Amino acid sequence: MSLKYGVLGLLKGEPLHGYEVKSRFEAMLGGTWEVNIGQIYTTLQRLERDGLVRPAGPRGDRGKLLYELSPQGQKALDQWLGEPDSGPQQLHEDIYVKLLLATRVANGDLQGMLARQKRTYLQRLRDLNRLEERARRDGRLDLARLVRGALLHAEADLKWMDELSSERFGAEGARTE
Amino acid sequence: MSELVRLSDVTKVYQGGITGALNGVSVTVEKGEFTAIMGPSGSGKSTMLNLIAGLDRPTSGAVIVGGTDLAKLGEAGLARFRRDHVGFVFQFFHLLPNLTALENVLIPAQLKGSEVPGRARELLGQLGIEEVADRYPARLSGGQQQRVAIARALINNPTLLLADEPTGALDTHSGEQVMDLLVQLHGRGQTILLVTHDAKLATRHAARVLSVIDGKVVDDARLEGPERAASEVIRVRTEEASR
Ligand SMILES: Nc1ncnc2c1ncn2[C@@H]1O[C@H](COP(=O)(O)OP(=O)(O)OP(=O)(O)O)[C@@H](O)[C@H]1O
Ligand SMILES: [Mg+2]
Repeated sequence: MSLKYGVLGLLKGEPLHGYEVKSRFEAMLGGTWEVNIGQIYTTLQRLERDGLVRPAGPRGDRGKLLYELSPQGQKALDQWLGEPDSGPQQLHEDIYVKLLLATRVANGDLQGMLARQKRTYLQRLRDLNRLEERARRDGRLDLARLVRGALLHAEADLKWMDELSSERFGAEGARTE
Repeated sequence: MSELVRLSDVTKVYQGGITGALNGVSVTVEKGEFTAIMGPSGSGKSTMLNLIAGLDRPTSGAVIVGGTDLAKLGEAGLARFRRDHVGFVFQFFHLLPNLTALENVLIPAQLKGSEVPGRARELLGQLGIEEVADRYPARLSGGQQQRVAIARALINNPTLLLADEPTGALDTHSGEQVMDLLVQLHGRGQTILLVTHDAKLATRHAARVLSVIDGKVVDDARLEGPERAASEVIRVRTEEASR
């Protein structure tokens, strides 16, 4: 996800200082990510350079600068919000590559690998369930929705492990080459 | 905690079956545990529950529940065991159509010779369906029928509650209500074995997940309970603004 548009989105509501952008960003994500303040300032500077945000008034005490969305920034944000997410699907986890290697490496213990990974996914599902409950309890519907998405992804990953361990994929994969 | 169920090297080959429905299953369940059983269709989950419930007998191996080796019980003894110790909830409710909800709930108690309409009504009340007590199953929603079936399973205070896909025939909302009920029961100390295809549901409620494949328990996962910080569970990746 893009920090650039995240910042633009937050500035749409009201002008903010850099550290306010940081804390709102983190609050919005419900603590699922810690944003580095340096990254926020770099992003704001780039956005200002590109004319998407601009200072709202002079520097305040301790040199704090309030930023607001420019009309171009508003346009860029609307366009981004209106576009569906496209591009290749992102697979960040090692298991995707481990599996490929396990079928090639002679001593690759595919079944053991699948079983261990499956356990990890089960634990993840449990943790996500807890997190979703907590988000709902706290009235954080937006965060609950995010967690729900993660839950469905984890469930799909688990199904994939099940499929791999019950079908002939292992034997077949090992034979290919 | 003390052991409630023990399967020792249990094998089940059905008549006409080429391979076993269960192939050497050994597993124990402690009193008070909430265990989910997961696995593909035909892997032997229902067979396992049926053997624990004393609805069927293994081809070999031992099924021991509450210290009793079920093989030592004759048919009458097995029927008594089921009546007194086991509550069973099925995917398709299995209510008798010509009895009212209340009468259905009372069946296991009557088999025991006890008249407990007050308790039956109380159970229906706890399950939030007291008002349908005098209706026939055909006039109940799936979720209501399943709650009646749960009340029936609980009427004799079973040591063990076995549920075979209890949410399988329900929409998401009724399914969640039924699961919430099971969780409340577990909170009061009920030992529960739940067969489900739904990993989200299983992990939400059960701290232990048995995976069954081809009649074998291939994994026994005990999940950790303590809540984790959001950032340890999910990481939303952000990229730096493009230059
Ligand atoms: N009464 C029976 N007679 C003969 N074979 C049976 C009988 N019951 C089950 N089987 C067979 O035993 C195997 C295990 O069946 P079981 O019903 O335990 O699977 P399951 O895991 O509960 O599947 P599902 O998820 O579809 O309910 C299957 O191959 C099934 O065809
Ligand atoms: Mg079954």
